Amino acid sequence: MSLFSLADVSFDVPGRRLIDHLSLEIAEGAVTALVGRNGSGKSTLLKLIAGQNRPASGRIAHAGRALADWPPRDLARQIAYLPQVTPVAEGIRLAELVALGRYPWRGALGRFRPEDHAAVSDAMQRCGLRPLADRLVDTLSGGERQRGWIAMMLAQGARTLLLDEPTSALDIAHQVEVLGLVQTMSRETGLSAVIVLHDVNLAARYCDRVVALDGGRLALDGPVRDLMTPEALARVYGLPMEVVPRSGYPFAVPL
Amino acid sequence: MKPALAAAALAVGLWAFAALSLLSLADWPGLPWRAESLGIDQILLTHGLMPRGAVALLAGACLGLAGALMQAVLRNPLADPSTLGTAAGAQLALVAATIFAPAALANGALPVALAGALAVTLPVLAIGARRGFAPVTVTIAGMLAGMLCAAVATALTLAQGHYLLSLVIWNGGALSQQDWSGARNLALALLPALALAALLARPLMVLSLGAEAARGLGLSLAPLRAGAILLAVALSALVSAEVGLVGFVGLAAPAIARAMGARSLKARLLLSPLAGALVLSLADGVLLTLKALGGPSLSTGAMTGLIGGPLLLWLLPRMAAQVPPGAEAGDGRSYRTAHPRRVLALLLSGVVALSLLTLFGGRGPEGWGVIPAALQGTFLPLRATTITAALAAGALLAGSGAVLQRLTANPMAAPEVLGVTGGAALGYAATVFLIPAPGPLALALGSGLGGALALTALTALALRADLAPARLLLAGLAIGAFASSVLAAIMASSDPRAWVVLGWLAGSTAQVTPTGAAMLAAFALIFLVALIAAARWLEILPLGAPVSRALGLPLTPLRLTLILSAGLATGAASLLVGPVSFIGLMAPQLARGLGLVRAASFVTGSWLIGALLMCIAAFGARTATFPYDLPLGLVATLVGAPWLFLTLLRSTAA
Repeated sequence: MSLFSLADVSFDVPGRRLIDHLSLEIAEGAVTALVGRNGSGKSTLLKLIAGQNRPASGRIAHAGRALADWPPRDLARQIAYLPQVTPVAEGIRLAELVALGRYPWRGALGRFRPEDHAAVSDAMQRCGLRPLADRLVDTLSGGERQRGWIAMMLAQGARTLLLDEPTSALDIAHQVEVLGLVQTMSRETGLSAVIVLHDVNLAARYCDRVVALDGGRLALDGPVRDLMTPEALARVYGLPMEVVPRSGYPFAVPL
Repeated sequence: MKPALAAAALAVGLWAFAALSLLSLADWPGLPWRAESLGIDQILLTHGLMPRGAVALLAGACLGLAGALMQAVLRNPLADPSTLGTAAGAQLALVAATIFAPAALANGALPVALAGALAVTLPVLAIGARRGFAPVTVTIAGMLAGMLCAAVATALTLAQGHYLLSLVIWNGGALSQQDWSGARNLALALLPALALAALLARPLMVLSLGAEAARGLGLSLAPLRAGAILLAVALSALVSAEVGLVGFVGLAAPAIARAMGARSLKARLLLSPLAGALVLSLADGVLLTLKALGGPSLSTGAMTGLIGGPLLLWLLPRMAAQVPPGAEAGDGRSYRTAHPRRVLALLLSGVVALSLLTLFGGRGPEGWGVIPAALQGTFLPLRATTITAALAAGALLAGSGAVLQRLTANPMAAPEVLGVTGGAALGYAATVFLIPAPGPLALALGSGLGGALALTALTALALRADLAPARLLLAGLAIGAFASSVLAAIMASSDPRAWVVLGWLAGSTAQVTPTGAAMLAAFALIFLVALIAAARWLEILPLGAPVSRALGLPLTPLRLTLILSAGLATGAASLLVGPVSFIGLMAPQLARGLGLVRAASFVTGSWLIGALLMCIAAFGARTATFPYDLPLGLVATLVGAPWLFLTLLRSTAA
């Protein structure tokens, strides 16, 4: 069964159609890159499948069940979503932020059980945040903060991660680290992920599949190597590019 | 452009109607107008109505220009002489001078008003400067300063033995004229001010890119800011001196100019005075027409709120997000205590100790001391009732303030700022007028529903922008101003029921029954339990709608529930302390200042601080002017505002 299936989905803001009659299947157990030009509808699509926005028309289903039919907390146990701009978490310690990820499991009043503590500490461990547990989130560097939010998503225990440009504020070392983490998790535990990315080379390096949008319509859907051809890149970005092999991965360079 | 022209035509038409119903055109005197050779109606026209029309235009233009300048230099769509405390400072100086040093007014009211306006505006901006003029901070500080000034002015009037203290709040804003001197003064000031503003236009345009970019382009910020602010303050002080407190015009005029299509700053500086003149003329024209038709005569200041409030609400969805992103980034790191439990325990013991102290101690005919045993049987139950009610009211207001701040992730949110208390006041007034001889329960329900209704309207308006702070604040200010204008209009009517509302507006514990106090206390305790139960929600909500939704919070029902409960709590509390006390804003701010950050300790701390503040206020209200009681809400404002100012200063210094 596919992770998400979209049937004839449209989404508008006043005066503009952001997603235009889109039908699409997103595969389970893979890391899918969501690429396209600025304004092509990538983030909008991610918000739609995250249940953040309701489509104007069409149907979106997760694991065979329409998104609207999922109770909010049940959906949050399945899908974790990281917005493009992470909010300011004033006065919260990192460990407390990560622990908020357990809300879908415990609700407003449920007590924390051993498995909740284990999930939190495991998530912090995976993101290499153990030494920072007691730091206030607003005193962390951009990379540390981003990893903190990803740790919160991991603590959420969801089988699907949706990340909106998780690397845009990070230096190259942290970009590699964050995407490598998602890739490893997917390979080891069968986690699915959909990541909005601007950098095609990072997408080629860390993702299995690619969905490319252009003007709210599907431009490409397939294994990530399908993207890494001059023709496909020209179609998606409207820019002549050259693809050269470099240390075992295809590498795109604008001409 | 078309609606503006239509509005202008309407303003002219209204004035002309009033003028023509005074005197038919044939009887209008020709120039020169010499009072000796004119009839009474002719004098009323040439020395009353005509200068009044001119003053409305000129004062409106001055306020519009002042607002546009302040908004441009502070890069803050909420800045205006009333939100920065400028107008209130001028008003306080005028009241103080009238009472203590009438001689100072001999050279005209302007120097006094200007001194007062500067004395308030400069400290407010000093606090703002420490945070890079972050709009929300500047607005908090300015509104606080304004409240404090209004409260002091009220206290001064009261100390002089005038018991109609609430009227002081609504006073001023009367445009009636006896000659052309007011119009002349305003015109003489407006022309050079316009020229100066034209000189400032280009540097202000550069500043609109942000302080850093402006510095990069070689602009020296300090003289520009000082010059523009000084000009705006002087304009506002002039209007205060000539016609009194006219709110909202400075806030609305630039917004209207923008809606009329003034994209560039230069166009806005030019159009805002026109828009201001239009708004004030329209407001005054409506009043003149009402009067000419035999209706009640209202103050124009109240009328501008009546027009300006709905106008702003209508404009809000049309306004793009004007607060530049990251403008609040200067907010600095928050302080967090390592021992929240210890702080809470300290607060709790403070509340208990203070309650007992004020129960037994106090001021009697023989001076200060413990109440004699012989009188205990008579007075202790009375005092206990008052203290219980005050504690509960403070806790309720503070609790709902804490909820609203968490819900909107906005340190400025409070029942008072968001117009909830204004709605509660309208609900109270409606109950008084609609139900014959309403009981306390009906009144509580009425004001509670009014508060919840105001909050719901506000949320519906702001929800589209996911509760964006600036939009929410503007909407709240608009609702609050609208409510106070309606109340002012009710006050001006000579209906005896208005006195019931008037008595309540000041806030007094005098009519509280033991049952009422016990019910209020029970409500406050239930509210606290509910808040602690909702702590996990309140922890997640400030992270914004996307994260809340991603974590599976039932966002819409949750928001509505929280808003409704905050509205009901505020309404119930306002029944006792009146619509203005600002405990709901102050207590959560203080809790934050004490380092109570996590949701559970934050709401509990706010709740306790609210009770504490109101307990102090109740004591002050009982003893300060013994044997007469002061209104509780007034004392609460006087008690809390300086404390909050200190908190703001300290947290910005960190």
